[in-house]
Amino acid sequence: MAALDQKSPNVLLQSLCCRITGKSEAEVAHQFQYAVRVIGSNYAPTIERDEFLVSEKIKKELLKQRREADAALFSELHRKLQTQGVLKHRWSILYLLLSLCEDPRKPCSRVAGYGSMFAQALPRDAHSTPFYCARPQSLSLGHPERSSTLGTSGISSLGTHTLNGPTLTPQALLSGAPAQVLGDSLRQPGTRLAWTLAPGTSPSATAPTSRGPPAPPALAARTQLRPRRDGDENGEIAESALVRDILYVFQGIDGKFIKMCTPENCYKIDTKVPLSKSLRDLSSRLSELGWLHNKVRKYTDARSLDRAFGLVGQSFCAALHQELKEYYRLLSVLHSQLQLEDDQGVNVGGECSLTLRRLLVWTYDPKVRLKTLATLVDYCQGRKGGELASAVHAYGKTGDPSMRALVQHVLALVSHPILNFLYRWIYDGELEDTYHEFFVASDPTVKTDRLWHDKYTLRKSMIPSFITMDQSRKVLLIGKSINFLHQVCHDRTPPGKITPGSKDIDSPRDAAELFTDLEGAFQGKIDAAYFETSKYLLDILNKKYSLLEHLQAMRRYLLLGQGDFIRHLMDLLKPELARPATTLYQHNLTGILETAVRATNAQFDSPEILKRLDVRLLEVSPGDTGWDVFSLDYHVDGPIATVFTRECMSCYLRVFNFLWRAKRMEYILTDIWKGQMCSGKLLKGMPELSGVLHQCHVLASEMVHFIHQMQYYITFEVLECSWDELWNKVQQAQDLDQVIAAHEIFLSTIISRCLLDTNSRSLLNQLRAIFDQIIEFQNAQDALYRSAFEDRKQQREGEGEWGVSAAEEAEEKKRVQKFQETIPKMCSQLRILTHFYQGIVQQFLVLLMSSSDESLQFLSFRLDFNEHYKARDPRLRVSLGATRGRRSSNI
Amino acid sequence: MASAANLNAVRETMDVLLEISKLLNTGLDMESLSICVRLCEQGINPEALSSVIKELRKASDSLKVKEIRCFSFGNFT
Repeated sequence: MAALDQKSPNVLLQSLCCRITGKSEAEVAHQFQYAVRVIGSNYAPTIERDEFLVSEKIKKELLKQRREADAALFSELHRKLQTQGVLKHRWSILYLLLSLCEDPRKPCSRVAGYGSMFAQALPRDAHSTPFYCARPQSLSLGHPERSSTLGTSGISSLGTHTLNGPTLTPQALLSGAPAQVLGDSLRQPGTRLAWTLAPGTSPSATAPTSRGPPAPPALAARTQLRPRRDGDENGEIAESALVRDILYVFQGIDGKFIKMCTPENCYKIDTKVPLSKSLRDLSSRLSELGWLHNKVRKYTDARSLDRAFGLVGQSFCAALHQELKEYYRLLSVLHSQLQLEDDQGVNVGGECSLTLRRLLVWTYDPKVRLKTLATLVDYCQGRKGGELASAVHAYGKTGDPSMRALVQHVLALVSHPILNFLYRWIYDGELEDTYHEFFVASDPTVKTDRLWHDKYTLRKSMIPSFITMDQSRKVLLIGKSINFLHQVCHDRTPPGKITPGSKDIDSPRDAAELFTDLEGAFQGKIDAAYFETSKYLLDILNKKYSLLEHLQAMRRYLLLGQGDFIRHLMDLLKPELARPATTLYQHNLTGILETAVRATNAQFDSPEILKRLDVRLLEVSPGDTGWDVFSLDYHVDGPIATVFTRECMSCYLRVFNFLWRAKRMEYILTDIWKGQMCSGKLLKGMPELSGVLHQCHVLASEMVHFIHQMQYYITFEVLECSWDELWNKVQQAQDLDQVIAAHEIFLSTIISRCLLDTNSRSLLNQLRAIFDQIIEFQNAQDALYRSAFEDRKQQREGEGEWGVSAAEEAEEKKRVQKFQETIPKMCSQLRILTHFYQGIVQQFLVLLMSSSDESLQFLSFRLDFNEHYKARDPRLRVSLGATRGRRSSNI
Repeated sequence: MASAANLNAVRETMDVLLEISKLLNTGLDMESLSICVRLCEQGINPEALSSVIKELRKASDSLKVKEIRCFSFGNFT
């Protein structure tokens, strides 16, 4: 025995071959070669090296065959075997015996004499083994002789594996089932190898012979369909060769027969290769997979080294790679299967486990997946960042659950970097977007004073479609607020304190899921961060930088809300401003301003505000008086300059100028009235003047009426209304943007209502003309009074003197006459002035009537309350109601 | 003597194995079985070996079948 043990396996194998086939050594040479190949191959054991397991299996097998007594006998024998320590590999021999075990009750194909052959010739249903019945109909592709194989193998456990094998495999591959199961189910077919004695042997023994003894032509047709390893007489390629080719093509490598056809961009079988049409069709259908693979692969290869493609792009590539890896796993399993068959060295006849048809079934799902990926790749071509995520998201809107799952998976990976950007941004205010993929863009050239307005913008194209515009705006605002706090307000509160929610930043996986349920958690997170951050920012601005106080100061000083101060200032400035503009000095005016502040209620304002109040002289043009160039100014800097921007301040200045002018008219008319009242008594003694004075009074009161109505309009209908609106909005504002917007609306309303915008330029010109008339009237009246007083003074002097000479008398008479002569001149001057004035007012009223602003129409109604102008101008006769009706019909 | 005892043990083992083989209806005779045992003891994969044996059997069967078929075809024609 020891000597025998030294025999090499080859010698043993040869004697085994002789023994089993019952032939001489020379005759069995072929089988021996095969045996050596199979044994010598790297045939990996698929079984557990466990004696106990094998013995249990044997017992089970015996029990299944209803041989309980034999099972007991076997355990006895097994025990005996265990007591003798001769064998080293007990499990091995036991396993061998188990493998060769056959149920004696079954018709045994091993003893296939006539009987077994005729059994095969019968319809397949004649076999009534339990396995056979259990087998699903769809599994019988191209394996008519499976039943006999099953009969011989008889390993129940493996057999059931095999039964489930083909259908199970593709799904198992996709779902990433344990590799062990995969390996088993794929390798099992290989263990049942078809064997024909010689390559040339006709396979008719195993051919489906359902129509009885086949006639020779039919047989020939059959053999053509039957694939061969090395081709047959017709020179056709064997199916197995095609399978090998196809497996290469699956990886995008040209096969022997199937090659990439570049001009047509598809895989083609060499037309010279003789091949039946069905095989040709099958393989071209299969090679589509290779084409799809190439497409996806090309995309990832091109992008993987391109750093500018960005993080989102990289993660898209990673997702594609993951999918490809799954696909490669399938291929490697198929390859090892093929390898296995090769190693067996068998002429894989009809029982070939890897057929094109099988491949077609197994690769169906991978093909669908690859197709989805390929369309995705096509669609995502040239996109990056958020745009890419939108593109992927668009493909997730499908009714196919498996496709949706795939796209969702890709989307989760793709959106991960975006979400990271987003969280960094809304919780820390940091923007680490090297490749411009995030939908918030930052402009590094913008200085801090314009940070809020210009530094950060939305990149519209990069907003992923699963984030709404509203959400993205909020996101922009949150980060902007944080940056504003840090850089402009120099507020060093750690972000965690601003938004208590920021502590629990999600893990990436959770984060990816957030996108799928946007209404819920994600929206909540953004909202919470938005509210907290905005509230904090507004608090800081209101408390630390007293934004609201500044707003009120604007109203009080620049919009003339503080009446006593303005009046007093005007009193003090009057002598200064009457001088030509070129002789004005800022420091003088500043001194006056301070005096005015100290003398009025303005002194109780906080020094912080008063400090900012200043005088500003506008650009001087020739002929200007001080009134034309004087302006109040308010200095703003730091965070509040974000609300009071340069544009806002220039608006304020324009409005101030207008209000100042209107105020001055009121002031002038007051002076005129005062003059009239004071001089009324004195001039009573000059009856020749009464006509002129009457004219003056009439015109003055007309002007007073006009200016009063104008002031009423400006104060109540323009300023107070808008201010109330602004104040409410600012109180309710949730973020700084709303404050700024409300403020801008306020300013633009004031500008347009004060006739300062371009639309009402003609109105403003009329108003200016009216103001000019008022000034002119003041001058005229002043001149009148001056000459009247002079005349009166001289008269007085004359009355007081005695003994006047004749010459003096004559001179006096001449002077009186001269004065008398000036009266009609003054009269006519006044008349002209009145005429002009009324003409302009009339024009102004016409313009007011045609204005679309309702309050202006009411103003015209008030200005012409006694319908004096209406009587004069037919254009004004259209009633208010009528114009409104006309306008609404126009609308 | 030790070798004689050893030989005894080996024979007994072979007997047990033959019994099991018969139980399982493997169809191996003593000689084939002993060859198989030796092969297994050399660490050959039993799965491979079993498939070889099966194929060998099938081959010899199909040889017979072929002869029979040739014979029957001859009858038909």
